[in-house]
Amino acid sequence: MTMTMEQIQQYVLAYLDITECRILEKSPHHVTVKLSPQADKDLTNRPYYWGFIERTGAEPETMSFKFVFDAEHHDADLAAAEQNEPKPQEDQILGRHYGAIRPLPILGPSRIQREDLAFGSPRLKQIFDAALRRGRCVYLFESAAPRQRMTLLPAAYEPWLGVNFKIEFCCDMKREELRSLGISLLTGQIDPSFGTRLQSLSLVPRVPENVHIEPTRLSLTEGRDTLERIIREEIEAYDQTWAEEANERLQEELLLIDGYYTDLLRDPDEERKKLVQEQYESRRGEIRWQYEPRIVVSAINCGIFHLRWMR
Amino acid sequence: MNPHPPNPAQPLLQPAPQIEFDRSWFEDLNSRLDKGGPWDDWKLFNLAMEAENASLVSSFEEILCLSHIHGVEPLPHQTETARKVLFEMRGRAILADEVGLGKTIEAGLILKEYMIRGLVRKALILVPASLVLQWVRELNQKFAIPAVAQKKQHSWDNDIVVASMDTAKRDPHKAILLNNEYDMVIVDEAHKLKNKKTTNYQFMIQLRKKYCLLLTATPVQNDLSELFNLINLLKPGQLGGQGDFAANFVVDKRIPKNEEKLKEELSKVMIRNRRSDGDLEFTKRIVRNIHVELSPEEKQLYDGVTSFVKDQYHAAGGDLSSMLSLVTLQREVCSSRDAVFVTLVNLSKKLAPDSPLRDRIWDLVGIIKTIQANSKAEKAMELIREMNDKVILFTEYRATQEYLLKYFRERNMTAVPYRGGMNRGKKDWMMDLFRGRAQVMIATEAGGEGINLQFCHQMINFDLPWNPMRVEQRIGRVHRLGQKNDVKIYNLSTKGTIEEHILNLLHEKINMFEMVIGGLDVILERFEKEHSLEKSIYKILLESQSDEEIASRVDSLGRSLHKLKDELVKEPPKESSGTKLTELMGG
Repeated sequence: MTMTMEQIQQYVLAYLDITECRILEKSPHHVTVKLSPQADKDLTNRPYYWGFIERTGAEPETMSFKFVFDAEHHDADLAAAEQNEPKPQEDQILGRHYGAIRPLPILGPSRIQREDLAFGSPRLKQIFDAALRRGRCVYLFESAAPRQRMTLLPAAYEPWLGVNFKIEFCCDMKREELRSLGISLLTGQIDPSFGTRLQSLSLVPRVPENVHIEPTRLSLTEGRDTLERIIREEIEAYDQTWAEEANERLQEELLLIDGYYTDLLRDPDEERKKLVQEQYESRRGEIRWQYEPRIVVSAINCGIFHLRWMR
Repeated sequence: MNPHPPNPAQPLLQPAPQIEFDRSWFEDLNSRLDKGGPWDDWKLFNLAMEAENASLVSSFEEILCLSHIHGVEPLPHQTETARKVLFEMRGRAILADEVGLGKTIEAGLILKEYMIRGLVRKALILVPASLVLQWVRELNQKFAIPAVAQKKQHSWDNDIVVASMDTAKRDPHKAILLNNEYDMVIVDEAHKLKNKKTTNYQFMIQLRKKYCLLLTATPVQNDLSELFNLINLLKPGQLGGQGDFAANFVVDKRIPKNEEKLKEELSKVMIRNRRSDGDLEFTKRIVRNIHVELSPEEKQLYDGVTSFVKDQYHAAGGDLSSMLSLVTLQREVCSSRDAVFVTLVNLSKKLAPDSPLRDRIWDLVGIIKTIQANSKAEKAMELIREMNDKVILFTEYRATQEYLLKYFRERNMTAVPYRGGMNRGKKDWMMDLFRGRAQVMIATEAGGEGINLQFCHQMINFDLPWNPMRVEQRIGRVHRLGQKNDVKIYNLSTKGTIEEHILNLLHEKINMFEMVIGGLDVILERFEKEHSLEKSIYKILLESQSDEEIASRVDSLGRSLHKLKDELVKEPPKESSGTKLTELMGG
């Protein structure tokens, strides 16, 4: 999977917006931005600086970046702009060494670092990680329709546990799947595409007016166990060829190792035999580590969602 | 994203893979519920999902890393090698490409792919000390892999560490490394692991690793058992036990048997791309020698310096070792008066105030003052104007470099310098300037990595190093994989000087300018078993009485080099095993 240039741009702009960064300049190909304190902490990797600011209460000076999404077009823009500007005077002494002289780099807080963001670039990865770190756990309510405020009867809301699972199928290679599941803590009803349902709703962090939240009948633990059971059943119904093949490879490799070490393990010298035995064990360990098929289910994020109860 | 270490408690054979539930999310949720928050932002919640969706590893067998890599465009054979290692060899392989085909790129691709898939978090890269920084730089720049060079003991805590083998195998580092386990270990120049009695080998055997790449251009140097040892680091048993291997595959230590079978077994653990395999053809080298006539003043300086150097040599009783700075003088005089001047001044500073040599030196300086123009610089300028294209000009001397910068500048030719002593940032900057607006780069250094000038295909040797390997390094900067044009090489040599003889030797006798890369080092290695080529040239220069004598002695030097070359070409019958072995690996 990957992301197109447009998707990356949208993504980064969304992140900058959510973290309340100040946009200084923007074109279809780039954005220049002064980071908010939160984004600065997420992206610039300066824990000591922030520790200092927090201890002393000094006014923080966040960093600025120019994120370029379309380097080719942006460079063309720059070149065009440069053409229209007068050329800087060449410095006689420095010019002798460097030919055309380039302006001295600006240092300090007013310096704006340029970063080309493409899929796979470390800065984008950092933004991804920041989103993962700060978007782990939510507690939300479906916003009520405007009419709700006027009606007499409070709307009944039903609490759901929603979890975005990641399933990793590993051997010496790996494949992943995402599953977005929800369970009603009131009725035990399962929504196998809970994520899609959430996308169609407007969600707010505060309880809307004139809303009645039904008490839960399922404990959170029961909810979790049910979701895990569903995942397990699904996985077990999957084609297991990949795991069988990995096990075959594992057995073949183990046979090779056995073949190699059988003779060596007959060494009459106890000392040497012990060494060989160690090597043998550790090689077998490595091989299992490499090939043994296993499945890990973790959650990317989760939350409690209070949604209008549709009886 | 966590790679999983083996769990020895598990039974070995399982009908279905175990499913492990990571419940950290549940604890997190519960604790937030207890404390009534804090709760995360719904939009970030969605961005997190979007990120995971984009980074999802959706299939077992598909190379994902290409869409993540922007610092390098891998060549087809490199991608294909990565694919084979990942999906057929399962991450344990010997990468044995011939020199210059990009083993580092292949290793980087493989490492990156595993990292993207979350199968490698901790990796250890062991390389010769001189290559540590270069590896770090390549991994960072080309693959955006956050590798660090091992400097202090705590460096080992980083996920991706590049270190020298010599450091790693010594305590206290060794103990730390052996206590760890690595998702991936890469060893560059792995032929240093061919002998299983060495500490290198013992260390590697003890190191715990999941995936492992061994990089070497010469998997077999002398003996088939070297290959056997190397493979046993990766996959013991692939070629059977020691006894089986000897019985099944070896006739003599250099002659294999059951080649088909051996080839097949090898192909399961080793990949060797060769230059002759097709798409990897290099472009041609076109050489033009330009003979420059010295002006009378320049000729006078040359003769003056030559006789000065010779007299000193005889006075020193033919002892070469004390003569090095003087020989330098002899070489510099072929380059520029500026270079000679600096050395002369330094020389006179070292002499006693009443030394009679001082006068001779000042006489020479006097001649320097009479020189108005540099014939070579004029010629170079003319050439550059003529080609009207990017060109890299090499000189051995800093003073010449300075002079040329000034000379070109005065004539409105944009030129940038490049020196070994520049720091990394400055080197990169100069490269950028050259790629951008400067027409000429004037470099004093060809060795060392980092100057890859595929975008330029003209080079001028303003003066010639007397060591052919250095000439080859210079050419290698432009004539490398990725160069799309034929490379034009201009050699400037001054008539009636030693330079003419040297050029004659390198060009006519061993035809080194047009030789395939990789051939020269073998010839030189053999030649220099007895004596260094550079020293031989010094001796000729210092001991000859006349120009004719120089010519004839250079000629005989050339013949002995030529003979070595012929021997190498003809070697197959004598060394059939060697060729067969290489063929074997090619398969």
